[in-house]
Amino acid sequence: MKNITQSIVPACLLASTMFVFTSCTTVNTVERATPIGTKQVIADKRVITDSTLNKKVSIAGVNEGMTQGGFLQVQIEVLNRKNSMQTFSYRFEWFDMNGMLVDTPTSVWIPRQIEGQETLTITAVAPTTTTKDFRVKFMENVRND
Amino acid sequence: MKPNFYSILLTVSALLIFGGCATHTRYVETTGPRTIVTTDINIQDFSYAAEDMIKSLLASGALDKTQIQPAMLAISRIVNNTTQQIDTDLLIKKIRVALNQSGKALTTTTMGIGGIAEDPLAQGIHQEKEFYTDKKEPQRLPDFTLSGKIIEKRDRQNEVRQVTYAFQLSLTNNDGLAVWEDEKEISKQSKRGVIGW
Repeated sequence: MKNITQSIVPACLLASTMFVFTSCTTVNTVERATPIGTKQVIADKRVITDSTLNKKVSIAGVNEGMTQGGFLQVQIEVLNRKNSMQTFSYRFEWFDMNGMLVDTPTSVWIPRQIEGQETLTITAVAPTTTTKDFRVKFMENVRND
Repeated sequence: MKPNFYSILLTVSALLIFGGCATHTRYVETTGPRTIVTTDINIQDFSYAAEDMIKSLLASGALDKTQIQPAMLAISRIVNNTTQQIDTDLLIKKIRVALNQSGKALTTTTMGIGGIAEDPLAQGIHQEKEFYTDKKEPQRLPDFTLSGKIIEKRDRQNEVRQVTYAFQLSLTNNDGLAVWEDEKEISKQSKRGVIGW
């Protein structure tokens, strides 16, 4: 009995160590210390219903601009707070001057992967030049992978 | 009469058996997160590719550089270089709808490769209109043509198999220059035994 315990304990330790080290892969980054470009960061309103997702993948900031054709362009910086790869889906919704939803074929749930401690930028362009507002939804992947 | 244990057990078992045999079919949002994923090109893959292409095309401003607005667009050849039989309109129609909606480009349905119109009736009406009109104006030619290719690449390492679909599109102006080009790649991995390919 003692022999079995002696052989199982190191094996379990080795397996758990391997699991920890293989599942945690984080991203190192480097960038200009004082960026030349200035972000047009906008104030945002957040409704968090899934705190588990928010603890893993959080929104670092929302940047807004206009394309040369006059379309509203939005960039959202997403940060993976965990040390392991995470998956999530997002969807952009666009609204016109009257607050009405603009139905567009580009409004789809898009799955993304984000590595540990990685920052990811999600970009979207409004479907019309009359689009004034947007809303982005985030959720954990629900597909059976 | 009180139901005894065996009658309840019989009812529950019957429900389980017949309920288990029933086919559960339900509606899902095509653009939603609950569509099925296989190693083939799924309906959502066309949506992802179209979303990326439209975003890139509108942000580029390539459609703004025509004298007459909105620009006129004709659809050229979209090559399917995959092992699957797919209708490329699943990609192109989404792009056409979005461009039409944006007000930046309108697609002609009376011009096509080899003179074959997408809408033969519209082409006939257009020709008849030209015939009966005294003053013939030269027909407006498309400012741009949209062409592309869908490519499939399969790789395998031990039990893991990977398939990548590359969606490539080019917008060519009437001087024959590609003024906008983009590529969207979608990769999927599966383990052997789960999906047999």
